[in-house]
Amino acid sequence: MSYFFQLVVSGIVVGSIYALSAIGFVLIYKSSRVLNLAHGQIIATGAFITYSLTVTAHIPIYLSFLMSMIITFFLAMSVEKIFLRRLIGEPIISVIMVTIGLMSIIDGLIYLTPFGSENFSFPPFLPQQPIVYAGISISYTQLVGVIITFILIGLFSWFFKKSTVGISMRAVSDDQLASMSIGVSVPRVFGLAWATAGLSAAAAGSVIGNITGLNFSTLHAFGIIVFPVVILGGLDSLLGAVVAGIIMGLIQQFASGYLDGNFGLYGTAQVLPYILLLVLLLFKPHGLFGTHEIERV
Amino acid sequence: MKTYKISIWLMVSLVAVMLAMPVSSGAEVYKLGLSLAITGPTSDAGNPYAKGVEDYFRYVNDMKLLGKDTIDCTIRDDKYETAITKRNFEEYLDMGIVFYLNYSTGSTLGLKRDFEEVKMPVIPASFHAGNLEESNYIFLPIASYSAQAIGLAEYVVKNHNGKTPKVALFVHPSAFGRGPVDDVKKSVAAGLGMEIVEVVEHGKDLDNTAMLQRFKSKGVQYVISQTVQSPVAVMLNDASRLGLVAKTFGEKGKITFLGCHYTGGNDLIALAGDAAENFYWTTSYIITSEPGVGTDAQLALAKRYGRDDKAANSHNYANGVMVAQVAAEVIKRAKTRGKEVTKETLYEELLAMNGMNAFYPVTTVGPVTYSKDDHQGVDTLQLYAVDKGQFKSVGTPFIPEYTGKIK
Amino acid sequence: MSVNRWLATGNYFTTYKEEQRIFYTSLDRIFCVFFLTTLFIWPFFMELDSKDMLVIDNILVAVIAILGLNLVTGFAGLISVGHAAFVGVGAYTVACLSRIIGDQHVLITHAWPLMIMFSGFVGAIFGGIVGLPALRLKHLYLVMATLSFQMIFEWTIGFMDFFNQGQTIFVGRVFWFTGQVGRKEHYLFWYYALLVVVVLCGFAVRNLLRTRYGRCLVAVRDNDRAADAMGMHPGFTKVYAFALAGFFAGIAGAMHAYLYRGVGMESFTLHESIQYLAMTIVGGLGSLTGSFFGPAAIKILDLQVENLAEWAVTFLPSGMNLATALRPLSFGLVIVLFLIFEPRGIANWWRILRSYVKLWPFRY
Repeated sequence: MSYFFQLVVSGIVVGSIYALSAIGFVLIYKSSRVLNLAHGQIIATGAFITYSLTVTAHIPIYLSFLMSMIITFFLAMSVEKIFLRRLIGEPIISVIMVTIGLMSIIDGLIYLTPFGSENFSFPPFLPQQPIVYAGISISYTQLVGVIITFILIGLFSWFFKKSTVGISMRAVSDDQLASMSIGVSVPRVFGLAWATAGLSAAAAGSVIGNITGLNFSTLHAFGIIVFPVVILGGLDSLLGAVVAGIIMGLIQQFASGYLDGNFGLYGTAQVLPYILLLVLLLFKPHGLFGTHEIERV
Repeated sequence: MKTYKISIWLMVSLVAVMLAMPVSSGAEVYKLGLSLAITGPTSDAGNPYAKGVEDYFRYVNDMKLLGKDTIDCTIRDDKYETAITKRNFEEYLDMGIVFYLNYSTGSTLGLKRDFEEVKMPVIPASFHAGNLEESNYIFLPIASYSAQAIGLAEYVVKNHNGKTPKVALFVHPSAFGRGPVDDVKKSVAAGLGMEIVEVVEHGKDLDNTAMLQRFKSKGVQYVISQTVQSPVAVMLNDASRLGLVAKTFGEKGKITFLGCHYTGGNDLIALAGDAAENFYWTTSYIITSEPGVGTDAQLALAKRYGRDDKAANSHNYANGVMVAQVAAEVIKRAKTRGKEVTKETLYEELLAMNGMNAFYPVTTVGPVTYSKDDHQGVDTLQLYAVDKGQFKSVGTPFIPEYTGKIK
Repeated sequence: MSVNRWLATGNYFTTYKEEQRIFYTSLDRIFCVFFLTTLFIWPFFMELDSKDMLVIDNILVAVIAILGLNLVTGFAGLISVGHAAFVGVGAYTVACLSRIIGDQHVLITHAWPLMIMFSGFVGAIFGGIVGLPALRLKHLYLVMATLSFQMIFEWTIGFMDFFNQGQTIFVGRVFWFTGQVGRKEHYLFWYYALLVVVVLCGFAVRNLLRTRYGRCLVAVRDNDRAADAMGMHPGFTKVYAFALAGFFAGIAGAMHAYLYRGVGMESFTLHESIQYLAMTIVGGLGSLTGSFFGPAAIKILDLQVENLAEWAVTFLPSGMNLATALRPLSFGLVIVLFLIFEPRGIANWWRILRSYVKLWPFRY
């Protein structure tokens, strides 16, 4: 039984990291209806900035974690200003392709640095011993990751529900024209959406980097790994991202815990999310918590 | 049409460049080619590898090791894609190379037939035993992954206290990873006293808790991994969190982790940090944390060409230097024997590299020997283990026994 | 028709039928015939290196795939990020057969045109199946369906022993009337084979767009509810579009398998799918000529950047990093710049050029 609960705990840990990576996605989609394929690269950038600040500039890790979030905040904002601002109103494929272009550009820029093809790991700053309770163990790194995830999700939910800026972001996502007419600056909202997404990506990157070590291809793969999560949760729901993230984490853990190595199967954890996704798309196209679009001719 | 025009322009410019080149008197330029992943998957290994090859050939030219003649080795990035490797290889053929250095398992297997057709001697960076099947022209620089895995398995069997050791294999989901699995199974069938409990192919896992718990419940005591560093690092981190890493080899109730060439090295320590402690790793290369003549040479070479510490201390840098050494050596031998340097004569020289003719590069733990039936260069392996954040030798170089028995 | 059919300065269409002609003027036709003839005869006059020939062949394979992708993404407006998987379906059709009956079997070496056709149909079936969600889904959700297919395809190939777990499955050398196609003439032979297929496919697409179904595609792209109201079935139109795209992709895949004489997983990954999309964008979405320009531009750019990087290494100290960085950097920049400054792709330059020539000597 403790095996089962260990899987549950691990599933929740992995799932909340998925959720954290997915938030950035959802934030951008929620306000500007853009699918950001370069998200994985932004995650990696965030992780590398944190690392450089900690190791090269000798800034305490907690501080550099915050600083990296702030830096990525502005970086993402300027990315939006330079590349995506010009494409407001263009067809959706153009916007998706711009993010693909962006992905390659960031790839190129990262290959200019040692991070492109070398491996690093954060200096240990948390106790190495795991917390063990009734045979179930969780490491401090993972625990901190989960806590950060929930803090950020709480903050963002509050931001969208209560703050004026958040409400204007929701308004823009609902109807750009109408929100413009009541005085909301649409470009500013888009910029802000990217910026907050960048912030959450930096957080995600630093958390993942602490768990897997800093390897560029491992980190940017998270941009793709979170796809099923965001779709499952519905593209524009923060709560959906969290729930779907945890569901995916649990599914993967159970798949590798019970399926792999038993029926001549292996690697099921990798493909199960996509199969689930395809099936779900047929029956519930807008995900678990996504808003139904009502279209009028 | 555009292609056509550009091709013409390319040809014109090529001819112009060729005409512009000073016609040297009698000095020959031997053309070699290397195609490898400098970007994309496994670029963390490919990058220092390329530097090693580049530096050694520069050294050969600068030191005039081949007299007036020089080696011109073109290095191209193939992003770990066989289609691009093929393009590079065709281009090298057009250039008239006499020796080819390849990289990934996938492309070596994919281009095997081309190598046969054009009779081109090839040294890949992949030590996959399957490379040698139905092939006469592929030469592995060191013992194959299979031999490495079997070597590790033998070490486990020899040093295990108690009943039959239970072992799990943790492999990369590709031919590169799966290659040794069958051979280890064959060795067990041939009498190697251990039990393979499970073969796991990993994905991009964030958490291996489920797998490790399963291992523990099945009584697995050793995990032999054949993959790249990053997944091993994740596994080691999880294992150390779960308190499963053995402090000493074969500790009861704990798991000892072992791995083949591409799982180890400084990259693993960089990724896994303290969790890498007591990780057992085998390769045929020397490493800079065990000082010696070879490592001095390696570090001096890297320093000479201004490489950073990370590249200089990488075992894949040594890997690149070593294949370049072999290539330069066969060219030198063919020259000394007064033969014309062609792919045929170099092939002959490679086949003759045994007995008194064995080649001792300083970068490996044993001699390089090739013959008609032996296409694995350095047969000896050295076991290393992480001790206080550095790989240190364990025992002396050895040759796995069961590789011969399962043939 | 009253105007001169050779030098029409401007459009003089009076009926829809005239607008739907394949060639608007005789000059167009002559030019096309001349151009095609050149494509067919130039190899007699100059000999290219195998590598250049391989690059050209590779471009032609991509052209066939892009013709399909352009149908589904450009004309029907459905974004597919799984196109490489469809190409892979075609390639693995040949590979599977070669695995079952041996790669030197007559069916593979002699009946290769049949195999290529067959792969096209298999591709079409898979395309249709993956397109099924299009009956219900739209926009991004459909993108996700194609992405899922891509992932499932990659996993299946990598998982199953039958597919050699993604490692190369060899395909034998083919035979022609003159006997086995040897190493020397391999790339030239496939150049011709590919050229014929490209020409056939090109005309097929051009003609398709003149039919009722072709107009359906565009109508559904522009406004599917309006199209629905006009009596078309948007869902099925989309499914057919996917099937057609799958057909072209399947053919491209089979040709790829024969060209490279083997099939390995690396050529059909998500990365390739993205490359295909980039080619479509750079060439010009929803344009037939764009399907030719796009692959050529992207592949040549890649080669040129590689040359540039190699040249840069000679005088830059830590050139290696620069060289590796330059390729993704330039690829990304090209896509972004095209989208920002020329969203209609190279095909638009071609259009402008043509109008310029057409109106000459008047100002454009």
